Amino acid sequence: MSSLPKQNWNLSNNNSSRAESKRNIASWALTAPVLFWLIVFFLIPYLIVIIYSFLTPDIYDVKFEFSLDAYRQAFSADYLNTFYHSFSLAILTTLLCLLLGFPVAYYIARAKDKLKNTLLVLIIIPFWTNLIIRIFSWRIFLAYNGVLNDVLINMGIITKPLEIMRTDLAVTLVMVYVYLPYMILPLYSVLEKLDFTLLHAAMDLGANEVKAFFRITLPLSIEGIFAGSLLVFIPALGAYLIPQLVGNQKTLYLGQVITYKIKNIPRNWPMASALSLTLLFFVAVLLILLYALYRHNKSRRIA
Amino acid sequence: MKRITASRFYKGFNLTAFSLVMTFLYVPIVILVIFSFNDAKIITGWRGFTWKYYAQLWQNDIIKQAFRNTMLIAVLSTLVSTVFGILTALGLQNKKFSGRKLISALIYVPLVIPDILMGVSLALLFNFTRVNTGMFTVLIAHITFCISYTVIVINSRLEGFDYSLVEAAMDLGAKPGYIFWRIKFPLMLPGIIAAALLAFTLSIDDFIITFFTSGRGFDTLPIYVEGTIRHGTITTINSLSTLMIGFTLFLVVITKRMRKVLISAL
Repeated sequence: MSSLPKQNWNLSNNNSSRAESKRNIASWALTAPVLFWLIVFFLIPYLIVIIYSFLTPDIYDVKFEFSLDAYRQAFSADYLNTFYHSFSLAILTTLLCLLLGFPVAYYIARAKDKLKNTLLVLIIIPFWTNLIIRIFSWRIFLAYNGVLNDVLINMGIITKPLEIMRTDLAVTLVMVYVYLPYMILPLYSVLEKLDFTLLHAAMDLGANEVKAFFRITLPLSIEGIFAGSLLVFIPALGAYLIPQLVGNQKTLYLGQVITYKIKNIPRNWPMASALSLTLLFFVAVLLILLYALYRHNKSRRIA
Repeated sequence: MKRITASRFYKGFNLTAFSLVMTFLYVPIVILVIFSFNDAKIITGWRGFTWKYYAQLWQNDIIKQAFRNTMLIAVLSTLVSTVFGILTALGLQNKKFSGRKLISALIYVPLVIPDILMGVSLALLFNFTRVNTGMFTVLIAHITFCISYTVIVINSRLEGFDYSLVEAAMDLGAKPGYIFWRIKFPLMLPGIIAAALLAFTLSIDDFIITFFTSGRGFDTLPIYVEGTIRHGTITTINSLSTLMIGFTLFLVVITKRMRKVLISAL
């Protein structure tokens, strides 16, 4: 009698663990195609990048001879300058997007529900429009004999056309234009959940608008600021198309240099690999730092 | 009284910022659309209305081929990456799955790495393996960058999944196939459609990864447009761009409609 319940318990435990291992196998089977695909087309390619970065360049290809030249060059003054350009462009773009994007996200978040959807669609349409077309439209707008110069001359504001195209200013402008929706959308999603009664409470207690903003709105939207900044900063670091189409050849950015090393002859694939891995390293360090900061912030708030 | 004026100022400031940003976002696109009907070779002032460049577009075989290539790649990569997304999201449903962390990491990491690095790494893979670049390599690349998005979108849809429905069906003796097609699939459908649309737009939009993985002779529209504007002949690009913007609007409307239809259907 007394052994019966125990046996039952054993039986059911055995059954459920067997069911569990069955489910585990099913999960492996379901995820196997993607796992296989990403190992072959995502992980292995990076292994090849690592290998290639230690090889010797050839005109069209690589020679399988060990060399550290690529890294030596990557950390020389010329390329450090390229890194500097890319980082300052990415930082500037992120800051400008944040500055422009915050009031827009705030405005949408506080709009009436019906209006909200329309406003969001208005932000999303440029975001869905082909990147190359958006860049191209700026070329038309900013060109020497383009629309902006036409309008300004006709209004008598300037007498000679401005040469904005092919400058660093044009690159920054178009970068902000392209990446702005990436900032606005995550900011909107945190601001939308923000409890605005807190703001009213603070103001009833005598805080002014500015103080309420810095003490309440900003700290509570920090996650959106992080997410948005990341979504802008990381692709901005590797930007190729925008500097290529509206910038000049005097200020080269990392994306351009990497592309030239692969596409232009003589090719230098070890160099492209070394620069790519350096970029990857910076991105990884940045992500780890941000993650640590995020964890710290979260644990502090809970405590 | 003072507080009301202050908050009005605040609201006014946000409205101003919003209007400025809207102008900033739309002026270049609107000008592009208007000038696609301009009867001038280069973009200098308004020279009268014309359909000429749309007709030229229709006669341009290279553009038509690039369009076909773009659509082919977009449809195929959407199909494959969406099916992959469904399978993986179902697999990840099991919270005790021992490969959960590994697969999640593999799916999230490509999203936080600049696009260009995926382009470079795939270019080197195809060089190393001596594969001829062309349609197949572009397709592989597009599937690779779409997978992360489809898995995440479909998976987020399954997060709030009501498992009591499945349990109830099982108690009533339903077979796994029946449960999938009659319960899980309909509940996943909005996520699947959102994922497919996202994959489709990402594929059509991509320049950089295609640039690194397509050989000569296989151009998609973004590759064609970039090459053409770099070499200066831009008369047909205005009209082509306008059509592509129209297509974007169409997709946005479709998405909204579909969501409404689906929500009312379920």
